[in-house]
Amino acid sequence: MRNKLSFFHTTIMIYMFQSGVVILSMPHILAYYFGTNGWLAVILISLIVNVNIGFIFLVYRLGKGRSVFEILEQSVSKVILFPLYIALAILWTVLGSLVSKDYVHIFQLFSFPNTPPMLLTVLMGLLALMLLVKGIFVIERAATIFFWLIIWMLLLLFAFSYDFEWVRLTPFVFKEGDNFLLGGLNLLKGFLGYELSLFLFPYSDKRTKLIQAVIIANVMITLVYFITCFIAYGFYSLNQLKGVLYPVIDMMSYIKFPFVQRVENLFYGFFMFTNLFSTVAYVWAAKEACQRVFKKVKPGILAVVLIIIGFSAIAIPDVTGEVREWLAFLGFFEIGVAFILPVLLILVLITQRIMGGAR
Amino acid sequence: MSKKGVRIVAAFLVIMMMAGCGDERILERLGFIESQSFDLLPNGKLRITCSIPIADPQSEQNRKVIAIDAESSKDAKLEFNKKTSLTLVSGQLRNLLISKSVAEQGLWDKFDTFGRDPAISPQVNISIVNGNAGHLLEKDYKQHPPTDKYVNRLLGKEARAHTIPKMTLYEFSRDLLDDGIDSIAPIIKEEEDNITLDGIGLFMESKYVTKIDTEEAIILGFLRGNLQRSAIDVELKKGQQVMFNSLTSKRKVKVEHADTERAKVAIHVHLKGSILEYTGPLKLDNPSNRREIAKTVSEHLTERANKMVKFMQKHQVDSLGIGQYVRNSLSHNEWQSMNWRDVYSKADIKCYVHIKIRNIGKSS
Amino acid sequence: MIKGILSGNVALFHESDTYIVDVYGPAARAIEQSQTETVITGPHDAFTEQANSNLSLIRERLKSSHLKVIKLEVGEVAKSNAYILYIKDIANMDYVNELASRIKAMEIDTVYDTNMLIQCIDDNPSSIFPQFISTERPDTAVSKLSDGKVLCFLDGSPSIVSVPASFFEFFTSSDDYYQRWAIGSATRLLRLVAFIITITFTAVYVSITTFHYEMIPEHLLLSLTESRNRVPFPPLYEALLMETTIELLREAGARLPTKIGQTIGIVGGIVIGQSAVQAGFTSNILVIAVASSAIASFVVPNYVMSASIRLVRFGLIILAGLLGNFGLAAGIAAVVIHLSGLTSLGSSYLSPVAPFHSSDWKDVFIRAPFSLFTRRPSQSKSPNKIRNKMRK
Repeated sequence: MRNKLSFFHTTIMIYMFQSGVVILSMPHILAYYFGTNGWLAVILISLIVNVNIGFIFLVYRLGKGRSVFEILEQSVSKVILFPLYIALAILWTVLGSLVSKDYVHIFQLFSFPNTPPMLLTVLMGLLALMLLVKGIFVIERAATIFFWLIIWMLLLLFAFSYDFEWVRLTPFVFKEGDNFLLGGLNLLKGFLGYELSLFLFPYSDKRTKLIQAVIIANVMITLVYFITCFIAYGFYSLNQLKGVLYPVIDMMSYIKFPFVQRVENLFYGFFMFTNLFSTVAYVWAAKEACQRVFKKVKPGILAVVLIIIGFSAIAIPDVTGEVREWLAFLGFFEIGVAFILPVLLILVLITQRIMGGAR
Repeated sequence: MSKKGVRIVAAFLVIMMMAGCGDERILERLGFIESQSFDLLPNGKLRITCSIPIADPQSEQNRKVIAIDAESSKDAKLEFNKKTSLTLVSGQLRNLLISKSVAEQGLWDKFDTFGRDPAISPQVNISIVNGNAGHLLEKDYKQHPPTDKYVNRLLGKEARAHTIPKMTLYEFSRDLLDDGIDSIAPIIKEEEDNITLDGIGLFMESKYVTKIDTEEAIILGFLRGNLQRSAIDVELKKGQQVMFNSLTSKRKVKVEHADTERAKVAIHVHLKGSILEYTGPLKLDNPSNRREIAKTVSEHLTERANKMVKFMQKHQVDSLGIGQYVRNSLSHNEWQSMNWRDVYSKADIKCYVHIKIRNIGKSS
Repeated sequence: MIKGILSGNVALFHESDTYIVDVYGPAARAIEQSQTETVITGPHDAFTEQANSNLSLIRERLKSSHLKVIKLEVGEVAKSNAYILYIKDIANMDYVNELASRIKAMEIDTVYDTNMLIQCIDDNPSSIFPQFISTERPDTAVSKLSDGKVLCFLDGSPSIVSVPASFFEFFTSSDDYYQRWAIGSATRLLRLVAFIITITFTAVYVSITTFHYEMIPEHLLLSLTESRNRVPFPPLYEALLMETTIELLREAGARLPTKIGQTIGIVGGIVIGQSAVQAGFTSNILVIAVASSAIASFVVPNYVMSASIRLVRFGLIILAGLLGNFGLAAGIAAVVIHLSGLTSLGSSYLSPVAPFHSSDWKDVFIRAPFSLFTRRPSQSKSPNKIRNKMRK
């Protein structure tokens, strides 16, 4: 049996890592920061992400598929590296857990407003743990099933064809916006998750076509965001989009089936699946990093410890506003990591190559 | 499943036991507010009436109506709750009936909660009541279904036939917040035994300004958008009537000229329909006669359409959404610097209605 | 001597000697129709408890010299015989060896049935889902063999188990192949719908009536509230009560002779169902939900799987009653995560969805025309991937 990731599943897994609840507020973010025809920004940001994926590709090429940790440990002393690993692990654990809490807070907008949010969050933590203890190959398999359970929701967008009007799109590009840079960073957060492919190197070989998988996953997520936001722009007027915090939830509540209505109540539950994978992705990466430091600890125990740390940390931010602030802060940090880490690795690899050549 | 798995499941269940409970909203313990009406009291407060269906088959009444004087609609909900054994919820709200006097003061500031409360569906119908909205809602109309359903079905049916616009919370706020179009809403009024349509209200921002009569509503319909499955009755002269059925329409707005001071716009409407009734001298099986009729009808409708546009321009309300098209033909700076309402009221807007006869029915 | 003949022995006369020979064979059940896996069209014979007759049933249908049988001994005390069957060059030898070594490694006194045997050797003994598929039908057994699967059965048991199995295999029946392909496909899709109904229907009812009243459409609202109005318990208890009643009926029916079973059906279905609603004990819409999900659960052809699903349903109902749609989604997530962690003899239980093999889908979710079945299922990892080519 081949103990490597397969191309198809890696694509889907990265897609699931990337997608999350950001899509629910994305048209609002676009309208608020970019103004008219903000949906174009999705493509711009996707291009930037692709550049970043290019760096990851270079790392993969230059490092000949070696694990990121090996590359670093070859040239940099462990005294410097281990604190770095720990710091990254903490960032990822808290970020991953925070994503779950954000999801729960949105859920509590329409159901269970009086239940303590941490109870629901811990429930999601347990689900994440169930996946984490089973390792990356089960995560990959589960991602595929969850993908099929959720992707059909795109079909719901057809429900809006009747109320979609081109005239609401206006010919103006990025007018009446606010702060492009801030908007871009907020938008970029919706794409995060692809950078974790850096840690998939040891689990992939030539047949995995890892970088191709990441690019396709990114194209998929771009398409989903693009279509959703585009339709939201034709369905809502611009100022309305600026006022509605979660336009996609509102759009779902507009859909009526003969046997059930206000489907956002049910379908929002399904967003738990994508969200779960964002959590799993980050905590998994944190686990990988910790594994380098604590080599003797079993991966399962490490996962439990990390989940406990993560979910204790996120008990601190209490109300939705605080969760958002934390998320914004850590999200920007993570964007930094996503861009700096590959560059750093490339530099290390180039030095290694020069040194190797000199020898 | 490993032992760890079993432990996870156990933890799962313990958490489940602890959670939940507090937020239960069990069906039979709830009172669903189906309709809510708003009237303005002389002292400036609102009189809010809400109607709650009663599901008990033994009960004589099929609904309960409660009225309250309050500052805002959420205030009212707390007051309502004191008066009933059920927990009142607004997630099944279908109708908002707003009396004209409230609408004239402006809707939006008082109705913040309808956009904010996630329980409330964006599919709630908005209608303006000519007269006392609370009274309309309180009254039982003997020959009709319970009043909430009656209003709901009346509006739904008429909206499908395009005699009135479909106006829900979503559509109202969408048009309200768009800078190129003004909102409209259907008007209903109470009669002895019935509720009847009383035209279409035109809004400037969120304030009710004036209305269009029911007879002209279909013209507003095809000037505002594309129609399907509609019908129109045209009286050409005294005693000469044509009635079109299965009417479809396509609207095209052409902005012929626009700058920050002036605008020239042509609205072309292409109608297509089957003649269901014709009481006139011409024989319909003759193609030239048919063309003749189509031409007179077109002229007649064009005239009525132009009259309506003049009327709207007089009141400075752009209910047709011409602003959207003018906006899209200008640059962003030009549009921002122009005062659309002023330009609109002076703009040169021409309507052209063209009708085609699809068929003439079974007889010649 | 006459006494000997009369008691059923054979007398053999040779010259002046007379031998009385005991030719009594062990008592065996005749080959009959299967009670648990009936089909409408297609062969009606089923395996019996006799290993020899079972082998002959298979040999009769598969006259290939490549069909191999391995005989093993199971049970420290009972020393029953277990047989492993496979077609050489079609079955993957890794599976055969793995299965044989697992059977050899078993430490148990006695094994009475194949279904018990497989619980001792499957990958995840504590899972509620069966990881190997068992059948009583020789035609199914043969089709599994030609798919490249490995069969295993125990002397004294009428069921044969096929390994490795995937979750979706439990939703197929040999009847699908005897119908026209369009009808077979429709039936398979129907089974998947039945699966979704049986898992979620009652849970959704509980979730909506307990937490998410907004989701009820206008025209259903009144009738639903009306029927709930007289019920004294919260929806969760109401649903659990009805589901338990149905399970009681099923269990009572299963242990009784067919004729009494019918009476139980009438008493349960009509008397209890009707009067429970009239007495205001349950709402009639719940009765519809419970009944249709019970019926849907029996649409699943494999009895073991259908029982597992019904148990999962209870879990989901409780989750939905405690946390509404959040609980429901979490429950579904937990089930899917559990399923994706399962393996069957080391291969993924969720094949062909994960790992993804679109070419297998035409024999899993639908039943495509036979001309399209050109490859053996990827899960069996056959060295001979293309059907209809027996050469190596």
